[in-house]
Amino acid sequence: MAAVLVHIDLDGDRPNPSSLVALAAGRHVASSWGATLYAAVIAHDASSKASPDSTAQVVSTTHVPGIEAIENALAHGGADKVVVAMTDAPIAPLWAAIGTAWQGIVDHLRPRLVLFGADSPSATELAPRTGARIGARLLMRARTLGGDDVELRDRDGGYVRASDSGAAVALIGRADPIEASDEDIDLVVLALPGGVDARVELAGTSPAEVAHTRGAIVALGDDVVNDAKIVADAKRLATQLGAQLIGGAAAARVLQAGAVVDRTTPLAPDLCIAVGNAQLDLAGATSFIKIGGPGGKTVDGALAGDVGTGLAQLVKRLEEP
Amino acid sequence: MSEPVVAVWLGAGSPLRTIRWVDGALAAAAKFGNATAIAAGDQTWLDLAADRANRAGLPSVGIATDLRLDYLGWAQIVAAAARQLKATTVLVDEASRPERFPEVAAIAEQLDAVQLTHVVAIAPDGAIVHASRIANRDLQTVRVRGPAVIGVRIAGAPVDEYPTPMPSASMRRLDLPALGLDPLVLGHRALPPRSSPQTKKSLDRIAEHLLVHRIVRGGG
Repeated sequence: MAAVLVHIDLDGDRPNPSSLVALAAGRHVASSWGATLYAAVIAHDASSKASPDSTAQVVSTTHVPGIEAIENALAHGGADKVVVAMTDAPIAPLWAAIGTAWQGIVDHLRPRLVLFGADSPSATELAPRTGARIGARLLMRARTLGGDDVELRDRDGGYVRASDSGAAVALIGRADPIEASDEDIDLVVLALPGGVDARVELAGTSPAEVAHTRGAIVALGDDVVNDAKIVADAKRLATQLGAQLIGGAAAARVLQAGAVVDRTTPLAPDLCIAVGNAQLDLAGATSFIKIGGPGGKTVDGALAGDVGTGLAQLVKRLEEP
Repeated sequence: MSEPVVAVWLGAGSPLRTIRWVDGALAAAAKFGNATAIAAGDQTWLDLAADRANRAGLPSVGIATDLRLDYLGWAQIVAAAARQLKATTVLVDEASRPERFPEVAAIAEQLDAVQLTHVVAIAPDGAIVHASRIANRDLQTVRVRGPAVIGVRIAGAPVDEYPTPMPSASMRRLDLPALGLDPLVLGHRALPPRSSPQTKKSLDRIAEHLLVHRIVRGGG
């Protein structure tokens, strides 16, 4: 039976919410395709016993503290089986830290489809490398579509269907909820050889500047900063998208410290929504949406007409369950 | 351990919106002293890439091809070019086009090298590279030793307009067979033909576009 594998990042002792969205997508796909759905977690164990030149070894489950709660959450989220990979490497969202352990899981299961939560911490490091290693097609920010014949589709037109040949890797941005399950599921613990790649050394961490935001930004134009309703709606939009709210000097009083940019500040987020006439210098990799302005060659979406009305309608739509 | 020989991959198409991220990647590569720019694609883009590399003081290599490949296809070409140049470190401009980011990992896989993505500052220090990278809302400071593929999002100076480049005589030309690659085999990584995306203009379509970015709190 084909395997669908979902990578699960942990926030402390709980699965990351974005990973659970990927798990829901995996449930839809696995049920439609007749595949087994595996949820895989990488956990740190300084006493991991596997030798560096061995392959993955199945070991007893008794050495995984806190696994019961995680297992229950993953069962509730639709997994058929849970795989826990124990590694002596400290867990960090870097291929150099957890890539060896993750590759051990992929080699052990040989999945046809590998899913990651698009906003889970490790996804951008692990997903493309996983795809490259198994020669898979890669979908960025995909979602599930369909009823009986479920497929994955991204907004560039890429898709993964049951009838496709070859493997695929997808970062999942959205999936319909699943019916909760409380069935007992199998748990497999793997001790994986090798640890952190010593060629990469994490020397320190500090908060990033707003100009370096990699996720989403919502930018206020100077023409809307005095409209309290628009500013409030822009903040609601930012909350929905986990975005930083930025703007020019005129918007300083409604922004957090460090969120003021000028028209030449280089910005390269994944997504930018300009509310009003925000003047921005965006990288080509950014997906760009304008509210209250005309479209153009490098604009992915433009909601023409009154800024306040369009923004309010959009926020209302995104706040729907 | 010797100092790295660097290649900087500028991609297989002209940057979208602005040239400044290409300039930033070239400037980052120029810090290493021994760096070469690589570009692939149509002649107009190769001329532009050669011109920007020349302005940054770097030699350039161009691979003329009309193939439209996925991330793994381009990674095979870049890895072959890097081997030809004996490059040990490859910088990738991951900001100029959306499809470039996954090429970082794919090139690293082809070269069996360390990968580092979302790097916003870089400083060579002999055989070590100091890099600052974005991880969610954190800035990580990382030291890298040995062969590495590093995705950079470093901007150059603002550029409103730039002169139309002349056909470049300085760019060294390579073709796929000279790199040991068969275009027919690479064709297995070809992207299916797609029409150019149109700007979404309705509330429904824009909401659909944004829903894959909506964050989830506390459960699926």
